[in-house]
Amino acid sequence: MLDCKLYFQPESLTVALDLLAKAEKRLLPLAGGTDIVPAMSKNKLNVAGLVDLSKIQELHQIKIEGNEISLGSLCTFQEIETSHLIRTKVPLLADAAGLVGSPQIRNAGTVGGNIANASPAADTVTALIALDADVRLRSTAYARTMSLKELLCGAGKTRILPQEIITEITFKILQPGSKGGFIKLGRRKALAIARMNMALIFSVTEGRINFARVGLGAVGPNPCRSNALENTLIGQEPSDSLVEDFVMEAEREVARMLGSRPSAAYKCEAVKGIARDILSSLFSSSEMVVE
Amino acid sequence: MAEFHLEMKVNGKPIVLDVDPGLRLLDVLRDILHLTGTKEGCGEGECGACSVILNGKLVDSCLVLAPQANGQEVITIEGIAQNGELDSLQKAFLEAGAVQCGYCTPGMILAAKVLLDHNSTPSRLEISKSISGNICRCTGYTKIIQAVEIAASRIATKEGADHA
Repeated sequence: MLDCKLYFQPESLTVALDLLAKAEKRLLPLAGGTDIVPAMSKNKLNVAGLVDLSKIQELHQIKIEGNEISLGSLCTFQEIETSHLIRTKVPLLADAAGLVGSPQIRNAGTVGGNIANASPAADTVTALIALDADVRLRSTAYARTMSLKELLCGAGKTRILPQEIITEITFKILQPGSKGGFIKLGRRKALAIARMNMALIFSVTEGRINFARVGLGAVGPNPCRSNALENTLIGQEPSDSLVEDFVMEAEREVARMLGSRPSAAYKCEAVKGIARDILSSLFSSSEMVVE
Repeated sequence: MAEFHLEMKVNGKPIVLDVDPGLRLLDVLRDILHLTGTKEGCGEGECGACSVILNGKLVDSCLVLAPQANGQEVITIEGIAQNGELDSLQKAFLEAGAVQCGYCTPGMILAAKVLLDHNSTPSRLEISKSISGNICRCTGYTKIIQAVEIAASRIATKEGADHA
């Protein structure tokens, strides 16, 4: 049995925020539980109790507002993977969500939890970093928005305050016609925690790439954008030789990021494979196009 | 310790319990309700032996706290036989020889059940994907996939007959 002295199951966000604001000891918001429950089993989490957010309906929506898409923080990976809106407007995010864990994990785990847990290898986080996503936080007193990049501050660390809850993740819709993909390298197909992952978005105007964003995961403490890789693509014509330039730059970028860490030798080599696979497949295929 | 008032449906039966909120759904099913068909393997969501169907979706019951199942409907392996007759998946697993040590079988059958409930003509790839969160260390999966194919074809035949 896990040591959980206090357990609250509010049905509204207002009540949940009130519980966090008035807590004398630290309460942790609980979303799907796929990270928190095993961490508690191993006594790795030191909290006085949990505020279960699963019954708060307003946190479960996926919607489009103007030129932005908003994901409720309690949306599961399975809901994101199968959402028609996400599949057509942001196929790379649907793909990233579909590669998380196993069917069981995707049915329970949530995007808000993936962010709050701040794993270096979080699959949807790499895709959301490439999408330049913002995170909306609420407390009883205020609402604030922070970029996902700024919110993550180390492996397992975020700038979320104890009285705050992630309510939404938002990002601008991509230009129709742009392409995006997500690739993951794991030890086996299902369930593997990413050894490395990459999200890529670009668009082509008059034969040249005019916009590119690259997210890299499990290389640093948190998934991050790679300006060096983006600059390799911008202004260039899609071609086989551009794929090879991108592959070489990916190797240099991972070497810069990892320095002399023991995993560097493996990851510098491995990133060449995922960089080549993702870019060449996006260049040659007519799929993964944003509608 | 404040107990949590838990109301849920398990295999169609309403259950009302006051439980320690630190219990996992798996603990309540096995230790309180004595539904020991649900197995604990790794305890961290890697093996799928503890899979149950929660509101129509397959989850690892070792990763769900019992209070999270409040107001929900749980189906375990004990709940899929109807009126004493085994489910077509259970029959197919026996016929195909898809059960060796049997520890993964309840989870495998429930994973396949969720698939067949939505798709009675799955491809081999769809079957593999549906059981990708369930580890079997005996069979090599071949017989398990065959069993799901047998069950699917029976269901399709039955549906065809019902429509005729």
